[in-house]
Amino acid sequence: MIYALAVPGPIEDVEELRVLQWHGEPGTRFAAGELIVELETHKAVVEVRASGPGVLRAILCPAGDWQAVGRTLALIGDDDAEPLPPPDAAGARFDVAFEVT
Amino acid sequence: MSTERVAKVFFAEAIARALGEAMARDPRVVILGQDVGRFGGPYREFAGLHARFGDERVRDMPVAEASMVGVGVGAAAAGLRPLVSITYMDFVMLGLDPLVNYGAKLRYKTGGQLTAPVVVKCTAGAKGQGVAHSQSLESWLAGVAGLKVVAPSTPADAYGLMVAALADGGPVVYVDHKRLFPTAGELADAPAPVPIGRAIVRRPGRDVTIATHSYMCRVADAAADRLAADGISCEIVDLRTLWPLDVATVAASVARTGALVTLEEGQLACGIGSEVAFRVREEVGRMRVVRLGAARAPVSGNPRLEAATLPRPDDVAAAVRRLLDAKADER
Repeated sequence: MIYALAVPGPIEDVEELRVLQWHGEPGTRFAAGELIVELETHKAVVEVRASGPGVLRAILCPAGDWQAVGRTLALIGDDDAEPLPPPDAAGARFDVAFEVT
Repeated sequence: MSTERVAKVFFAEAIARALGEAMARDPRVVILGQDVGRFGGPYREFAGLHARFGDERVRDMPVAEASMVGVGVGAAAAGLRPLVSITYMDFVMLGLDPLVNYGAKLRYKTGGQLTAPVVVKCTAGAKGQGVAHSQSLESWLAGVAGLKVVAPSTPADAYGLMVAALADGGPVVYVDHKRLFPTAGELADAPAPVPIGRAIVRRPGRDVTIATHSYMCRVADAAADRLAADGISCEIVDLRTLWPLDVATVAASVARTGALVTLEEGQLACGIGSEVAFRVREEVGRMRVVRLGAARAPVSGNPRLEAATLPRPDDVAAAVRRLLDAKADER
């Protein structure tokens, strides 16, 4: 199954934020708790971590891109073989934990 | 067609960029304020400047606004171009004596031999911080002969008005807003200047003109979205500079729409809206007009009471509907 990794929220005051750094590339496997991406708000960094295992399949918003809370940043798969759907067709959300630092 | 590149930036980044460029261009530009140094500014609006320009030009100050503004005005008279950062606008009143009695008067008192090219930057607006950290006092300052007052609502204007303020003969009060710092917007790689004294039509419309500034531009826009769903078309004029007022841009809009709503976060009495409404009326003659602003109460630290004190999009939309139901000059 392919999941959408969305900008987590709510984050106080924040409507949209900027991708600071990806900690993987398509094909990278993440275990629960591992840092996938750091996002930048007007005054803080948001660390987004995997809640369970997954494979980063496609980055839709590379570093420097902006995205709104709730919108998709990347596609995550159960494995690295399943064909990718169109970016907006990934139905289920990939569960993440996030911390604003 | 321009092929100019633009990038999206946070509001604070636009300020920091304007300051960084001005400081690189002009060694007379210095920054004085609380937390402006290594900390990078209360809203990160001075981020990177201390590392780039050092202690000499980015100076952390004690909690002593009267002294900060006094030093800034004096340094300006002596040839520097200081920016004095007052974190909360409520505390600019501690610096009013040097700003109003000295800075604003210097050019007049000396027959133009001395000027005070100082920018006093302060952050207005309510965001959960209670009675003495939430005020929007820009109408006080607009009432002082010799001061200019600017109040950007977008990152591009935050940049452009900061560039203009730092280049001005001063003094200029630069009013930003707590609720604008989380926002982002486009800024060109080589941004056009934003002259002091020039308003802009932010949203074209045909039925009513909403003249507003700073964060209330966003409230006006939300109201205009609601009204558009009912077929009511609002033209939003962002004043951008509160003194000198660009009456012509507002009047030209009201001449088209025949109806004016003024909207501000500060008090209505002797407010920006009163000034705008009267001066537009002098230009266009008959028109429908209503003013919106804060309730006659201190801004509470209680979030519900704070929200109830200030104009909300629904209040603006309701006022527009009532105004458009009234005949000209019946209000």
